[in-house]
Amino acid sequence: MRQWLRGLCLAVSFCTLVPGTAAAQDVESLKRELDAMRRQFESLRQQYERRLQELAERLETLQAQQAPVTDPQPRTAPAPAAEVGARPEEGPSLAQLLTPRQPFALAQPGRSLFFDIGASGDFIADFTSNGSARRRDGTFNGRENRLFPREVSIAMFGRVDPFASAAIRISAGEEAPPDGARRGSEIAVSLEEANATLLALPLGTTARFGLMRPRFGTLNVVHMDDLPQVDRPNVLTRFFGEEELNLEKGLEAGLILPTPFYEELSLGVFDGDNETAFGRGSLRDPLVLGRLRNFFELDARGALQLDFSAGTGATVDDRRNTVAGVGLKYKWAPTTGYAFPVVTLAGEAIYGNRKLRDNGGTLVERRAERWGQYLYGQVDVDKRWAAGLRYDWTERPTTPGREWALSPYVQFKPSEFLRFRLQYKHTAETGSVSRETDEIFLQGSFVLGAHPTERF
Amino acid sequence: MLRRGTIRPARGLAVALALVSVTLTPLAAEAKLRIVATLPDLWALTSAVVGDEATVEVATRFGQNPHDMEIRPSQTLLIRRADVLVRNGLEEDAWVDAVAESAGNPRVLRGAPTVIEASQGIPVLKVAAGFVDRSLGDVHPLGNPHYTLDPANIPIVTGTIVAALSRIAPELAGILEANRRVFLDRLTEADRRWKATLAPFRGARVVSYHDSWPYFYRAFGLVEAGIIEDQPGIPPSPQHLVALIRRMREQGVRVVFVETWYPPAVPNLVAREAGARVLVVPQSPGAVKGTEDYIRHLDHLVTALADALR
Repeated sequence: MRQWLRGLCLAVSFCTLVPGTAAAQDVESLKRELDAMRRQFESLRQQYERRLQELAERLETLQAQQAPVTDPQPRTAPAPAAEVGARPEEGPSLAQLLTPRQPFALAQPGRSLFFDIGASGDFIADFTSNGSARRRDGTFNGRENRLFPREVSIAMFGRVDPFASAAIRISAGEEAPPDGARRGSEIAVSLEEANATLLALPLGTTARFGLMRPRFGTLNVVHMDDLPQVDRPNVLTRFFGEEELNLEKGLEAGLILPTPFYEELSLGVFDGDNETAFGRGSLRDPLVLGRLRNFFELDARGALQLDFSAGTGATVDDRRNTVAGVGLKYKWAPTTGYAFPVVTLAGEAIYGNRKLRDNGGTLVERRAERWGQYLYGQVDVDKRWAAGLRYDWTERPTTPGREWALSPYVQFKPSEFLRFRLQYKHTAETGSVSRETDEIFLQGSFVLGAHPTERF
Repeated sequence: MLRRGTIRPARGLAVALALVSVTLTPLAAEAKLRIVATLPDLWALTSAVVGDEATVEVATRFGQNPHDMEIRPSQTLLIRRADVLVRNGLEEDAWVDAVAESAGNPRVLRGAPTVIEASQGIPVLKVAAGFVDRSLGDVHPLGNPHYTLDPANIPIVTGTIVAALSRIAPELAGILEANRRVFLDRLTEADRRWKATLAPFRGARVVSYHDSWPYFYRAFGLVEAGIIEDQPGIPPSPQHLVALIRRMREQGVRVVFVETWYPPAVPNLVAREAGARVLVVPQSPGAVKGTEDYIRHLDHLVTALADALR
């Protein structure tokens, strides 16, 4: 009986204590939540106070700016016309020009611009022999022994709506002067990119339409100021021109394939406006480009990218030109701890098969099969310093002859927005013309404002 | 009566359909939510509240510097498969926008309900005021993004994550909140321990290589005596270092915090000249083996700092 009573007492006390413990836990957690809410409230209060302060300051500034309108004695009287050589209504006076003004801002404080703006400048000094400058056979044709802006561009990019993003890029640069013209005075401005990417298509595809740098090979999508060396490799400039495949208008679709590793397939249809390689410029006989890009994380430090590209289109004189390429990029980088040194090995080979109209006066068609390649290695010693070496070898795509080049270079980056390079390039050509060219390039590049993230 | 030629394609089609259905069935049955966190601290906190109810992956490697990220296609592949993306919200992981836009996955695009900005409601420190441009270095205009280093912010961060996940998967709401409460109980207990450990050093002046620690200083009553980087992301100038060393000597600074991913040469020089000690510490969980859990990570930080200040 006693045992039974003792058991009953224990059960009763258990039943009364357990809810008590649970209630105590609830109180503790409620207290914590209350604390969290208090902190959130405090944060909101501070944000509102800050915002109110900003608005009050802005209001004061605006009132101060409006004051001179009602002021019978203007603070800055217009200067006499004789002093500035023009009547006041023809433009601002000297005094007005010297008066400090508010900095220009695209977005006023408290307002959003809704897209990013970035600007970049890429300047090159090209030193070579007088003979090479006369012959205009340097890497930067017609701009030998000059310091020139290769590309100064303004880029605007951002989201159009929940379903699309867009990018616009306007560039200016010194163009190679026509034969016989005075050297290097023409700055050409052009619309380099204007395209929208549809981000929410079925099956995980993305599609881009407009004016763009198409996905072809490894370096074609890289802008001039982001190239790994000062100049584009010889094989790319011989087969596609100084800016490679650029300014193409068309539609490009991309799909990441459902494979265990990264495998991206892209396919594009373009007008074909690249005069060096294609140039037919008509959708009735379009330029079709495709690329398969694979990426493998080999281990904790090494990664390999392997891409295969192909393209076919019609040349200016309506002859078929087919190109194929394979690119490889290996990067070794410590991914944890201090991320240097970084070692990069990369290369690309391009094969071209092109129908040509013989210039011997017979108008007989012949087929030219040509190829070329480049290979480079770079060591990033730390965040600021890097050095590398590039080897070029290529045949000329339409004429007999070949060339090779060797380019050692060093790079200094004070920050991720500013970069300097010094590069030496020795080029040897054989074939219809045999000659050797030595050049030294100095490059300074900068980025202002927003810029797209660095990719592998 | 069917001709022989028409039966074969029909059979082939049936076999193909069967194969597709067999292949897809395990996927449908599995159907676990796939969450990707951009950074290891968000991964640790999300894992703590999610438990086994979803898979949680991280887009950066443990111990990788999130400021100097070079995005890789493998990250695109990871984010392409995500149902939910948890991001910092104060631009520490701004690179993820480029990854998300190339992933072909609308669920990870900024603005989608399946993207969680974990900084919501945080009292943000060091919000850039006045004229902001790159003369200030690689500054974060929205404020210092290292808010998870203050344990007092964790109830807010986990609350944001749980609230968003509960909207995405309402059936998990109860479990997630229960997990969160258990985690916060552990955190409260650990926080008491950390505060007791560092109590003797309240008011101690500390220098760091990068401006990663204002939340940590505030949490434990430490005082920021200077930063080796003159401007964020820019290696320091000699003039700045000379002035910093002088100030450290005057103020008796004994510890220089250096994240594992920064070069040790300059901090070593500064510490040697100022008579201080370099403390190489992980800024995020997982950089040191065994600290993948948020509480263990803070345990490691607090213990290392207390040892250095003793």
